[in-house]
Amino acid sequence: MNNYELTLILNPDLSSKFDDFESKFSKVLADIGFETKRLENIGRRQLAYSILNHNKGHYVIYQLEGPAEGAVELETKLKYDTAVIRSLMLKVDALSLEDSVLMIESREAKKAPEEIKVTPPKGKVAEEPKPKEDAAEDTNTTETE
Amino acid sequence: MSQDAKKNFNYKNIDLLKRYITETGKIIPARVSNASAAEQRKLTKSIKIARFLALLPYTDSHR
Repeated sequence: MNNYELTLILNPDLSSKFDDFESKFSKVLADIGFETKRLENIGRRQLAYSILNHNKGHYVIYQLEGPAEGAVELETKLKYDTAVIRSLMLKVDALSLEDSVLMIESREAKKAPEEIKVTPPKGKVAEEPKPKEDAAEDTNTTETE
Repeated sequence: MSQDAKKNFNYKNIDLLKRYITETGKIIPARVSNASAAEQRKLTKSIKIARFLALLPYTDSHR
């Protein structure tokens, strides 16, 4: 038995159907005798360069334990899976069972857009009265002066 | 570099790796970054893996 770290970049168009892919893929893994020790669903991410005309990709990192023969089989299966636009399987000494930097990053990124989403309406509301306030203040100051 | 010595050079740690590539995407030589030979080996490998996974660019003129 070996430890493997499998990183997949999935077609971003299928991002919403990730659960379907996951359930299918977990069966594939089970058939080859692989055990998923950890699954990190990082989600959509901007690619540094386009792959197969995709500018974004859905990243997933699997921490697996399984036989070496299965690893070869899995790689060929991934090669012909159209949902996977790129895959990398690394043999590792020890599986990392902590959140990877990518995962932490994506979680923070997910938080941030929410904050931004919440702020624009506030900002819009705030922006409109602000100039008025400023103007009012200005006029006040000028008046008082 | 000595500060980063304990840091893990991993292909997922993009922010750290980014410090060791130029604006054009080249890996900065150890003589410039003062990375030890062992560090530079890990660094280079991690950067190349990160490039394959489109986490880092190969060059600044992609596409």
